[in-house]
Amino acid sequence: MKVEGLQGGWGEQLVLDDVSFSVEKGEIVAIVGKSGCGKSTLMQHLLGLVKPWRGRVVFRETDIWSSPEAMQRARRRWGVTFQSGALLGNLTVIENVKLPLKEYTDLTEDEIATVAYSKLDTVGLADFADSSPLEVSGGMQKRAGLARAMALDPEVLFFDEPSAGLDPVTSAHLDDLIRSINRSLGTTVVIVTHELASIFAISDRVIMLDAEAHGIIARGTARELRDSSGDSRVRAFFRREAAEEGKDS
Amino acid sequence: MEVVGTLLDKLEFDTPRIFVRGVLEDSETGPLRDFIEKHRREVMDSGQLIVDFQDSTGIDSVPAVVLYGFFKELRRAGVRVRIENSPASVESIFESLAKFDSRGMEERRRSSFREVVEAFGSSGYEFAMMIVSLTRFLFETIGAFVQLIMHPLKIRWQMVLYYMEESGYKAIPIVAVLNWLLGVVLGYQAGYQMRVFGAETFMPALLGYSITWEIGPMLAAVLVAGRSGSAYAAEIGTMQVREEVDALRVMGFDTFSYLVTPKMMALLMVMPFLVLLANLSGIFGGLLAGTLFLGLPAETFISELGKALIPLDIIWGMLKSIVYAVIIANVGSFMGMKVRGGASAVGQATTAAVVLSIFMVILADALLSLLFVHIRPGLSM
Repeated sequence: MKVEGLQGGWGEQLVLDDVSFSVEKGEIVAIVGKSGCGKSTLMQHLLGLVKPWRGRVVFRETDIWSSPEAMQRARRRWGVTFQSGALLGNLTVIENVKLPLKEYTDLTEDEIATVAYSKLDTVGLADFADSSPLEVSGGMQKRAGLARAMALDPEVLFFDEPSAGLDPVTSAHLDDLIRSINRSLGTTVVIVTHELASIFAISDRVIMLDAEAHGIIARGTARELRDSSGDSRVRAFFRREAAEEGKDS
Repeated sequence: MEVVGTLLDKLEFDTPRIFVRGVLEDSETGPLRDFIEKHRREVMDSGQLIVDFQDSTGIDSVPAVVLYGFFKELRRAGVRVRIENSPASVESIFESLAKFDSRGMEERRRSSFREVVEAFGSSGYEFAMMIVSLTRFLFETIGAFVQLIMHPLKIRWQMVLYYMEESGYKAIPIVAVLNWLLGVVLGYQAGYQMRVFGAETFMPALLGYSITWEIGPMLAAVLVAGRSGSAYAAEIGTMQVREEVDALRVMGFDTFSYLVTPKMMALLMVMPFLVLLANLSGIFGGLLAGTLFLGLPAETFISELGKALIPLDIIWGMLKSIVYAVIIANVGSFMGMKVRGGASAVGQATTAAVVLSIFMVILADALLSLLFVHIRPGLSM
């Protein structure tokens, strides 16, 4: 997946300017930065929810905006988990996981049930299949959202702030789950977060955005950025976040 | 057999073999099904099948479940199926599918006749419980209302005025226009039929009774239930979802006097006037129909109407509207307070508020009509 010279924003307001990077197959890339730096905006551009003013988002050598079919093809190969899990409240957990299988495959009801349960099992929620999303905890909702995102075996999994609203232990479990899915299935992962613990625990590479720069100010492994970045904004980000985490604990 | 996607078979083997190469992807499910269909007979006849994953790095869940279903079918038919050289990822997918193989069947079994009967029983019980809760809610609201009347300084007049504007002032056009139209239709239809018997001069009386006793108050109540009852349920329901109601509680607010009584108070004040407006608009519509379509002079219409109606007819409709106001405000607020969960629960509460409000308004109207027969001069038997 590649982003080439992407420029975009909201209304008249420029948020991202000339952003370029690539995500290699099987790696975990974390997009980080302070609140308001454009992480979520970049994610929305990557997912094709917002059209860039300029530049391209390329998946499997095709610009996703080149045709509706290209967009649809790309989305079939992606899985997205939203901050809240975004499960449909009027369906049970298992029905949520079955949704994409019903929509995009010609499997029978029995086959769909088998696949959906096996996906829920992967995230450790097979016993909560018949629960309403409203009856399970926030962490479980995110895991169920992950099972739904994995239903069609996506090549790329996108996570928007997966740790938001979770306690450190649950958050660490979710990180382990993401890591294990990445290792066992070779799924590429793009994750938007500002949680330092997650960044260090799971990312292979980090891309850091900055609001004033309207784009990327650093890239590398988490340790490289923390230990040897020449950019004071990068150091400040890691120091401040680390200090806050230290205080919390 | 032949190449399908990444599947390959060599006919020179004695035993039919499927070689899976690379990653068997989701998009290859269709060709895989065709492949199975084409070679099913051949495999069945040979009595065995070998699936070789030597050159494969993985398989997506969707083709895996299709392949797994084929293996099951073959095994049931006595065909020996052997999977060879499968990587760990493929093995774990097949293990996982085997673990949840019967879930679909279990789900179907659950949706049996017994479950349907249980669902009916449970809905009936829930409805009965809801009526009990609604009655309790009504008493609590009346309690909070009485408290506020005794301490008028505590009344949130700003909110009362806001709801008066939303539920009353802004409802004026729709109430007036619809009742006027209904008056025109009713006057025309009734007068047209009565003219056959030369009795069109009785049309104003019939129209007056219909409008003031039933149609005016009822149509105003239905419109207010649709506009304001639903709005109350949606407003309080959304506040529940966003934990705003809990926030009010922990701050020590009485949620009844904060959220419910201003709405009820506002409706109590505006409903009688909306009903009066509905009556006047309806009668004006009938007058128009009489003069324009039936040749009934306006003076005749007014004098006939004056002979038929007494002040109690108008006052009764306005009094009934007070009962309707209590029903609509309470049902709307109650449904909003009952909301638990997310966006869909708010939608369900809104729908339930309108349906139940209209149902209860009609029920109350039926009971009040029985009472009216006894109190209006010239009606009791």
